[in-house]
This record gives sequence, C-alpha cells and structure tokens, in this order.
Amino acid sequence: MPKLFNKVLIANRGEIAVRVIRACRTLDIKTATVYSTADKYAVHTLMGDEKYEIGPPPPLESYLNIDKIIEVAQRVGAQAIHPGYGFLAENPKFAQACVNNGMAFIGSTPESIRLMGNKIESRREMANANVPLIPGMEKAGGDIEEFKIAAEKAGYPVLIKAAGGGGGKGMRIVNNRDELDTAVEGARRESKSAFGDDTVYLEKYIVDPRHIEFQILADTHGNAVHLFERECSIQRRHQKIIEETPSVAVTPELRKKMGEAAVAVAKAAGYVNAGTVEFLLDPDGKFYFLEMNTRIQVEHPVTEEVVGVDLVAEQIRIASGFPLSDHFKDLRQRGHAIECRIYAEDAANNFMPCIGKILLYREPTGPGVRVDSGVRQGSEVGIDYDPILAKLIAWGENRDMARARMIKALNDYKILGLRHSIKYLADIIAHPKFASGETYTSFIDRNFFDWKEKTGENLEVALAAAAVINANGGGKIAVFGGNGEVERSYNPWLTMGHWRIGEKIK
Amino acid sequence: MNQEFVYKGESRAVELKNNRFASFPNSSNTIEIEYTPDGRLFLHNGTQAREIYAAVDGDKTFVDIDGVLYEFALPSQDASAAGGGAGMAEDPSKVFAPMPGKIVKIMVGVGDTVEPKQHLVIVEAMKMENIIIAQGKGKVIAVNFSVGQQVDTDNPIIELELDS
Repeated sequence: MPKLFNKVLIANRGEIAVRVIRACRTLDIKTATVYSTADKYAVHTLMGDEKYEIGPPPPLESYLNIDKIIEVAQRVGAQAIHPGYGFLAENPKFAQACVNNGMAFIGSTPESIRLMGNKIESRREMANANVPLIPGMEKAGGDIEEFKIAAEKAGYPVLIKAAGGGGGKGMRIVNNRDELDTAVEGARRESKSAFGDDTVYLEKYIVDPRHIEFQILADTHGNAVHLFERECSIQRRHQKIIEETPSVAVTPELRKKMGEAAVAVAKAAGYVNAGTVEFLLDPDGKFYFLEMNTRIQVEHPVTEEVVGVDLVAEQIRIASGFPLSDHFKDLRQRGHAIECRIYAEDAANNFMPCIGKILLYREPTGPGVRVDSGVRQGSEVGIDYDPILAKLIAWGENRDMARARMIKALNDYKILGLRHSIKYLADIIAHPKFASGETYTSFIDRNFFDWKEKTGENLEVALAAAAVINANGGGKIAVFGGNGEVERSYNPWLTMGHWRIGEKIK
Repeated sequence: MNQEFVYKGESRAVELKNNRFASFPNSSNTIEIEYTPDGRLFLHNGTQAREIYAAVDGDKTFVDIDGVLYEFALPSQDASAAGGGAGMAEDPSKVFAPMPGKIVKIMVGVGDTVEPKQHLVIVEAMKMENIIIAQGKGKVIAVNFSVGQQVDTDNPIIELELDS
C-alpha cells in the first residue's frame, strides 16, 4: 500500500507555489519553500512550514539552480519535489536529478518530459501514433534557405517556433518571404535567452483557429484519463490571458474524439501524472496536435471547478504511487468556469510589464469566485520574474452566469500601486463577441488592437478623492480602505508576512 | 482650500471646502467625499454612498473608481512621475526603455533616417523582448548604449532629430 509523503519541497514561487502549499496542507503534508533574496518576504516563502534561501534574484542562480535545490531538499528531508510551472517544471535533467537522489519528482518521467519537450521529436512520435499534426518542418531548421524552402512548401503564413519552448516565447508569425529573416533571427535570440537553446523550426500557420487543450491524468499503474477540454483562445502575443471550460466549439462527438486522441498522446509518450495535450481546432472542426505540456498548467483551476477535483492533490497522490481513484472513472462536466490572468502590466503602454509595490490589495469574494494569488498588500513586484500576480476564476451553472460573476469579481478586485490588467480583462469578458463565443486566437488582434482604458468619466471623482486625502494629511505611505481584509486573515503565517512587510516600509 | 495635481502630464485644479466638498474650474459639479477617522473614504451622492479605494506612495496618489486606475502626482514633482512611462510621451525625440532591462539589438545607427513606427531597439525585460519604435520621422543623432548593456528608464537609448 503506498503512503503519502511526509514533506514536499516546492521549487517555485508566486501563486503556483501557494497553490501547491494549499494542496499539501489538505493532505497533511509538511512543506518546505525555497526563495531567492528578492522573495525573502514573498507570500509563498512565508506560507510554507519551513523556508530556505537558495540564492540571488536571477533565476539561473536560484529557482533554476538544480544542484542547490536538490541539496536543500536532501538536507531538509523532503521526500518529493513539486516543480510548479515554468522554471524547472519541464526540465528532464531536474526530474532525473530528483530520481537519482532518491526523491520523487511530482510530474512525469524524465524520458517523457524529454520527449515532449523536444517539439520536433514529439511530432515524429505522435505522427507514428496517428495523432493529427500541422504540416511543417520535420527537423530543426538550419540556415535560412531551409526555412525558405519549408515555408514555400507549407505555404505562407507560417509560424517560427522554439524547439525547446512554450508560452509564446521565441515564436513569430511570418506573412511573406520578406519577413522571414528577421523572424527567424528574433525567434532564435528569444529562444536562446528564455530556454538556453536557439533551435527553432517552422510550421504552417492555421488561420482562425481556437486553442483547445485536454487535461490528462495518468497514474503509475497504466491508467490514463482525460478531464475534458479547456479553451484558451484569448491570447495576446501568444500568451494565454483568459481560459474557460467547456468550450462553446466542442460538441459531445468532438469532445470524445479529441479526448481519445489526448489519451493516445499521453500513452504514446509513456506519460505519468498531470499533463495537458494542446490542439488547434480549425473552423471546420479539424484538430491538430500542437504539443504536450508536461506539468500542471496555469489554467488548471477551471478544470478543477467544472470537474470537481483537486488536480494538485491528485498529482501528489499519483507521485506517491496511488492508482487513480474510482472518482476518475465517471467524470462529468458541471457548469462553466472562466479564468482571468491578472498581470502587472501597463495597458496604456503596449502592455509592458510593470514593477512596483502593491500598496492596497483587496480580493473579490462571493458565490463561484476563486482567487489563486501569489501577492498581497505590501508585496514588491520586481523585474526578475514573470509579471503574473494572481488568477481569478469564476464558476456558474452556465457560461453567461460565469461571465456575469467574472465581471463583478473583476470590478471588485482592487490592486493599487502598480498598473495591471484588470479593467482590460473586464472589457474582454463583457465584449459582445466574447459573449457570443466568437473566441478565436485572433480575438485580441481583431477586437482589442486599439483598446484604451476609459479614464475620463470619473476623473473628477478621483481628483476629489486625491484632494480629500491630501487635505487630511496624505504624505508618506498611507492606505485607505481594504485594510480590514488583511487584518481578518486567520492564517498566522500570512499575518506575519504582512507585519514583516509593514516593518520594511519607510 | 485650492489644490493642484498632475494627471497624465496635465495640471488639474480642485477646490476643497470643509475637507469634504470638491469643485472644479469650468465645471458645475460638486463631489462629496467623507474621510472617516479610521482612514476610509466614502463617496456620497444623494441616497448613495460607496467606499473609494486609494493609496499614497510619496508624491503619487492612486485612486480606483469603478475599476479604473487614476494616478496623480503633486505639481512640485517632475510632471512625468504621473505618466509612469519616463519622459517618453513628452519628448518623442528621446527614445527610452519602457522599463529597466537589457539591450539585445539596436537596429539603427547615427545618421540613419527613421520613419514613424520603425523598429529602433529591442530591450529584454521579464523574459520578454520589447520592441521600441520611433514616435516620429527624423534622423538619428545619438546612440548612447550598445548591445548587452543594461538600461534604466531615465537615460535615452537613442536621440532623434525629428522633422518638424
């Protein structure tokens, strides 16, 4: 009979580290967090049972430092490591290092991570398993001539992609021959800096697709199931910003076909644990395998809300050696869930990431509202890491109800001190084309290319507020409203985090 | 009590009576905002009242009204403080990084002529490449950084002589 771990080390930061700690708590597992010097007072750092500093802010010297993380995990007696997403989550060397040092890696096997991480090799493998693929290069591109020939064969527009990548980094759309050189060069550079590898390849660019992905769970006993789809078509610069399930475009027949294909992908890869198989769905209902993400996804909560599971807890159970429970034999979708990613970014300045201190922080509440956050009042958002602050998830018995709850929750979400995307997200969810389900990956470029925040309307009210604050002392650091949320926190560690941050304020 | 704030580079005047009633030049509106002893703000409008969320950090005041963020600076400070985007909007002849980062590519040299929206520099920050474009037509008169260097938002990377 397998046994759950006593202690898990979380090799990540931000909201996903917080999410993993929550799952461990519900399973009565102790947590050890690691942090860079920039994250000394971060929410995740202070929320675990134990915390260990692993180096300076640059990721290569801390959150990507395999030797250091393994050394800490062994020293503190962790039996398993959860990598979250990003950083080392899809690094087969890290998974192997865990195994070699007698610890469980909460994810798939090093072999399957290696296979799926190589987008070219995995395409070849999936072609053998009869999974439908987008036409394109069968191996990494060499000189520009090779790209030129492949582009002409597939037909413009084409897409340049990083062989070792994901998350839109190192990706370029090329509309014609003239744009090819710059795009290949740019994709190589971005790929090199993001993944340490400048290998890129080319494939046909499908016009007007939807991004549909399937959540997979596979145990170590040969069982694999899918937990239905997520639609993640709302993307900006190839980064998902809004995800939902079910998809309005997936019929029960299509769901069955795509779900079976997704399970076939997982089995062909020898996949274990939670993973996601991504497809493009074209307007004719044809779908193409894109890639498999060998980790927990940012957007996993929408599946959790609609299917009624705790995916992170299940990841831990699977890594402990438990078979999938009977619960997974009869899965159903119930209602509709939408997730919005809240980024520190400036909508008025081409969505550049923003840095600063969160002076005021107030989360929305209410039926069907969930917040997965990595920040709190007093948090500093720096330049070293991804600018995601939190994820807001709304559930409703149908899509319209989920949308209505999301809009209300976004309006109630208050973050002051740095620029963020909340108003932009609210305008997307309220847009008639989003409401009618016309969610193609081109949605943002088509409907929000010239979006501007409507700031004029209440300028006088805002000015009046600024004047009243100023007349009543203003100055230094002061926060008006929202304090109650912090004071009411019943988690002593969170409260302590707040106090420490408070002491730092000059 | 008369007060002045800078909003998006423009000066805005407010007159405040009894620390509670605000009025504005060229406007007939009066807005009532109550500041409670425990430091909360309430907007009163007839039978309605609702809480306003705001925060102050040094010379900056942040106010949320219906989910829209307003950022004000005090007039004694540099006007660009309210814009957040470093003097960029004020002087299109100076090309700044939008945020601190590393220069990965410079596409122009001194003496080159540039068109509006032409790509000038790529700065990498937070794992993303950000392309900085020309705000107008003109000639490059200075390139102050080189590839691989770190930039902040206060020193122009490139300076242009814009056609008038």
